[in-house]
Amino acid sequence: MPGLDLMFWAPVMAGGAVAGASSGLLGTFIVGMRIPFLGVCVAHAALAGAVFGGLAGLEGPALLGPALGAAVVTALVLGLADPQRTRLDDNTVLSFLFSATMGLAFLGIGLYGILGKSDHDVRGLLWGNLNFCRWPDVRRMLAAALMLGGYVAVFFKELRAVMFSRADAEAAGIRARAVWAGFLVLTAATLTVNFQTVGGLMIYSLTSNPAAAAFQLTRGCGRALGLSALFGAVSGLGGFLLAAATDLPSGAVIVLVSSALLGGAVVWRRWRS
Amino acid sequence: MTPAAVEMRGVELRLGRGFRLEVPELQVAQGEFVALLGPNGAGKSTLLRTVLGLLKPAAGVLRVLGEAVPALRGGALAALRRRIGYVPQLLPARSELPMTLREVVAIGRTARAGLGRRLRPEDWAVVDAWLERLGLAGLAARTFAELSGGEQRKALLARAMTQEPELLLLDEPAANLDLGWREQLVTTLEALYGQTRLTVVLVCHELEVLPPACHRVVWLENGRPTATGTPEEIFHDERVCQLYGEGLLTVHAGGRHAVVPANTVRHGSTGRAAGEQDHAGA
Repeated sequence: MPGLDLMFWAPVMAGGAVAGASSGLLGTFIVGMRIPFLGVCVAHAALAGAVFGGLAGLEGPALLGPALGAAVVTALVLGLADPQRTRLDDNTVLSFLFSATMGLAFLGIGLYGILGKSDHDVRGLLWGNLNFCRWPDVRRMLAAALMLGGYVAVFFKELRAVMFSRADAEAAGIRARAVWAGFLVLTAATLTVNFQTVGGLMIYSLTSNPAAAAFQLTRGCGRALGLSALFGAVSGLGGFLLAAATDLPSGAVIVLVSSALLGGAVVWRRWRS
Repeated sequence: MTPAAVEMRGVELRLGRGFRLEVPELQVAQGEFVALLGPNGAGKSTLLRTVLGLLKPAAGVLRVLGEAVPALRGGALAALRRRIGYVPQLLPARSELPMTLREVVAIGRTARAGLGRRLRPEDWAVVDAWLERLGLAGLAARTFAELSGGEQRKALLARAMTQEPELLLLDEPAANLDLGWREQLVTTLEALYGQTRLTVVLVCHELEVLPPACHRVVWLENGRPTATGTPEEIFHDERVCQLYGEGLLTVHAGGRHAVVPANTVRHGSTGRAAGEQDHAGA
């Protein structure tokens, strides 16, 4: 910690905080809708897109395009699937999408070997590495987070109704499907951008734990949203600082900090009641 | 002549391979309180969802508040639904949600306020007025999950009423409520109708839930309305006997209705035993 080179580590800290805050923000609705698996599902769809983009000859930041495309398509399939018509619960659809996109991703990675190409870039995407986060990455993450935040601010009351019950929201004349689909597209974009930097496991923990912790501690959708974003940022930044101070792997510590926040929130709520 | 609030002619709808809803003729006049009754699986909730445009009929004429529902798409269908208050049969069961009762009731104002626009102070005033009117004001800051089943039902009724609807659709609003809460709900519905003269369609399968304001019952069986009339006309002895077995008594008193075992009736009852008289005294 005393030898921390701020010039080098500043984008890492900013990246951790932004990824945590945006994941916490969208996590409020994802956990509220009981589809926490969405984060990891979209992340694997993005991976599949990047893998096939790589096979098509794309490299480096250009892989973001196919990754984003695959993530958005996957999110839209979930958003537009009508549970009444498909007779499938959202989590069942997610399970199908997750296994299908993961299967595609690993098929593609297998093809790299068969075709004699290096899969280094795409393997890096699978796990991510916050320590290599640079300012261009932070700018992309911030842009996605601001778009998501703006969307949530504009359609807050509609998203709140969808979170309570999508079917009831439709029945009340709310354009629930369109608003939810728009949210999922921005969620896919945010997670894809974050995924390149922080990896799938951290995304899963940062979309689930901060929101679940906020739900334990507060009443009211707006407060939960703010607290969840704050917990996400604290997990991302605090986890990194803790890792730097103890010389432990940052990703693992960030995940553990967000888990500890949830555990602490559960204990606090039980103690208070 | 004022058009009917709900008009169905020759409506047919299939759900999967097994169920078919067929409504040759059904009209609900504006300002009328109608109940749809029938056994489980008769098609009551399906009919209600068809009226809301959540299910699309394969054939027939369906007009709701003057609009041909099957022809409506997107924004036009949403606009019609804004004029209809709907209380669903199933309560949302996400116990971890931090949404307060006030926020849940405010969902009723969401579509009216306009897409992407914030709720105005007038909208919140309507929300608070309905919370007060239904005796829920003291619970406004609690989360929906912290409320009892009866309070949750009332909350969904408040949510529907904040839409300032022209038509109110209630899908088994007394499901899983104990006697006390059921009676509170019946009293609330009676008062609500008395004050607003709103068109109400109530789905239930117990005639104890009918408030005195309900003067017409439509009986559904196997996806078809098979009888319509006053509760007294529909729940005559033969039908009750046929539906629920012998030895039961229908009681119609003070605008309320009940089916009770004949051998539990005390002196002074105005009801008669369904089926053979000797069962009533058994």
